[in-house]
Amino acid sequence: MRRIKTIVRVIALLVFGLFFHYVLPQHDIVKVTSTEIIRTDFSALNRIFYAQADSGATEQPTRDLRLINTQKQDTFLLGFIPRDSNGVMVYRNEDTGWIWPPYFKFDSADLQAEAANLARGDEWVVVTHYGWRIRWASVYPNAVGVRTVSGPDVTIIPWFNIFFFIFLMAGLLFVRAMWRQFRERSVDPLLDAAGDQIDEVQAGVAERKGRMSRWMDTWRSKKKTPPQ
Amino acid sequence: MGFIKLVIFGFIGLTVIYFSIAIYSRSVRKERLEDEFDEKFPEGGAEGARDTFIAEGMHAYNTSIRPKLIGLVYVVPTVVIAVIVYTINTN
Repeated sequence: MRRIKTIVRVIALLVFGLFFHYVLPQHDIVKVTSTEIIRTDFSALNRIFYAQADSGATEQPTRDLRLINTQKQDTFLLGFIPRDSNGVMVYRNEDTGWIWPPYFKFDSADLQAEAANLARGDEWVVVTHYGWRIRWASVYPNAVGVRTVSGPDVTIIPWFNIFFFIFLMAGLLFVRAMWRQFRERSVDPLLDAAGDQIDEVQAGVAERKGRMSRWMDTWRSKKKTPPQ
Repeated sequence: MGFIKLVIFGFIGLTVIYFSIAIYSRSVRKERLEDEFDEKFPEGGAEGARDTFIAEGMHAYNTSIRPKLIGLVYVVPTVVIAVIVYTINTN
């Protein structure tokens, strides 16, 4: 039982961890090399990893997808420790619209123009993005914003994620406090009342049983008195 | 339309949160009033005094600013969304 509990907990932690890793913003230090637009036919496998059509447009099974090609500084530990090597990274550039994930990004065309401008020079830029690059499923992370930085060794403090997790913890503690209050004030009194009732019924049954058996006893043969 | 969906479902979600917090806050206040009374009159006080004490305390709570502050549940997310929309979409 204990082992099952642990397994369930580990799976839950893993699912939430992956979920947040996908949805929360991360920063990459890159050089933009080019921008391009490819036609994309989504499959049932990778449709979930793409946003809907641009927020003013209508949804079609096939559409053009903006991509930003970059040369990325490799890092350890979610981008905190830079490495000396480079790799390529391709970002998609899509409107997230009003619903999900809640980045409320409507400026993908402007971002594409910015990236095209950066591709002309040789500057280091920080790309804020969410999502994963899954090569076998043709999935790209979605770039949300770019800004130029002085060099590849800048330290980036993920303020948004820090505050997000603080608020998440506070929210969970608050929900726990609410649940405890609800149990203490609403559920426990009900249960107590129900428990009392059960006790009363049981006591009643016991008493009746007592009376019954005493009555039954009157029918049993009395202890035989030895003959005189 | 994404925006209309956001407004409708956001409103429903925030209303659920609003009422949960309102009920919780009232419950905590009531519990505190009960404890206060029991501390003042450990032997129970006069007949009905406990009920009046709690009713008065709850009336004071209902007319204070605290329950109105729970309305921030609607204001804060709206402001946050507006700020995100602005910061993401300006370059």
